[in-house]
Amino acid sequence: MPPIVNYLWVASFLLQLVVAALIVIRGHFRRLPFFSAYIALNLCQAVILYPIYHYYGEASKVGYIAGWLSEAITLAARLCATVELLRLVLMSYRGIWGMTWRLLAFTCPMVLALVGIFSRSNAPVFVMQLDTGYHIVFAVALILCLGLLHYYPIRVEPVYKVLLLGFCWYSCAQILVNAVLHGYSYAQYRHYWPVWQTLSLSSYSLVLILWASTLSHSAPATQQQPTLLTDSDYRNIPPEIHAQLQAINRRLMNFWKIQGPKQ
Amino acid sequence: MNYSVAVFASIGLLLLLAMAWLVFSATRRQPRIVHDGSPERESLHISNLPQIKQALADSDFIYLESQGYPALAKRIRKERRRIALNYLTSLRGEFEKLLRLGRMVAVMSPNVAVAQEVQGLRLSLEFSYQYYLIYFRLVTGIAPLKAIGSLSNMVSALTIRMETAMSELGERAALGAELLPDNRSGWNVSS
Repeated sequence: MPPIVNYLWVASFLLQLVVAALIVIRGHFRRLPFFSAYIALNLCQAVILYPIYHYYGEASKVGYIAGWLSEAITLAARLCATVELLRLVLMSYRGIWGMTWRLLAFTCPMVLALVGIFSRSNAPVFVMQLDTGYHIVFAVALILCLGLLHYYPIRVEPVYKVLLLGFCWYSCAQILVNAVLHGYSYAQYRHYWPVWQTLSLSSYSLVLILWASTLSHSAPATQQQPTLLTDSDYRNIPPEIHAQLQAINRRLMNFWKIQGPKQ
Repeated sequence: MNYSVAVFASIGLLLLLAMAWLVFSATRRQPRIVHDGSPERESLHISNLPQIKQALADSDFIYLESQGYPALAKRIRKERRRIALNYLTSLRGEFEKLLRLGRMVAVMSPNVAVAQEVQGLRLSLEFSYQYYLIYFRLVTGIAPLKAIGSLSNMVSALTIRMETAMSELGERAALGAELLPDNRSGWNVSS
């Protein structure tokens, strides 16, 4: 491995240790068990992969299989950690939580189909595109959820928001890194792999720094459950609002038809 | 570079931009706070409605021009256009408050219909589109001014009706509102 990859590997490992320590010291593990498990799995991945890459080389078959297998496990753990964070944020708001799931169930297969259409099927590229596909679906789902949190007046603890943004940033960065590097340098495989690792580790290290800064604060207190309205309130009030908003829009449209004063 | 690379790179870039927008639009918005610490009073423009209507009337300009003061008429028209623009901005504020009210009801509801929320979003986009078109036409001086008066009537009536509807929700809504503090600095449910 080139020295820069070694340094980044050590740096990201140390940062993960810091994040893990903060999770334990600040008591975040009580409310974020899946996120804690995700960090622990990442640490394990680094501990297992480093000697494999060192002895067999990252371009070897053993390194390839071990790398992608461990990646699949951490990707699954990341998914669980993200669902856990979203659940913590939205569980008090049953209606929005339900709607979010319905939207995700509708959107994710569509994005997956889109990724499938634009992917190629030859083996080494396929695995890389599978990884890209996962990150695209993951990032789209996260952006959708963050958009809903932005759109609706829902209280989000800063720590959860930063953790979600970290996941989102990392996935977006991975999509770009995979796409651009794949486009320009896949043919030169020897150069490709260290560059890919350097960029991936750099973006992940940035996320870890962001997480460490936010996890250094104490775990947020348990939220008080808001008192929800009844179904009939929702059935009656928003349609009334929408009907009136529609009327305003109609009036705005008529604005054009009114003759203006002679200038 | 093949087409799939271009597609994936574009998607990645778009997602990154969307994320940046979500982050920075949340931090940029600041609530308008008056000196006593409470958010600015809504429906503020209602009290100015008669004056705005009078300011937008043609009679003053016609009178000044007929008396031989075209320059003065022009200056006053310009000033009143500026007032109309401010008024249009406050109407937008009112529209947005009503939209937020709708969103608050959705957040506090045990079941939320996607179609209904999409309709709210569509109406909001429609309003924004028309608002900016009218704003542009007012700025460039090619829009009629008097229609704003009737538009404000509509918004004011809606505000009053919605306030009545919300008061009917009584204590539950008030308690719910207290439990829904601001997650972005853009607004506060108590406003």
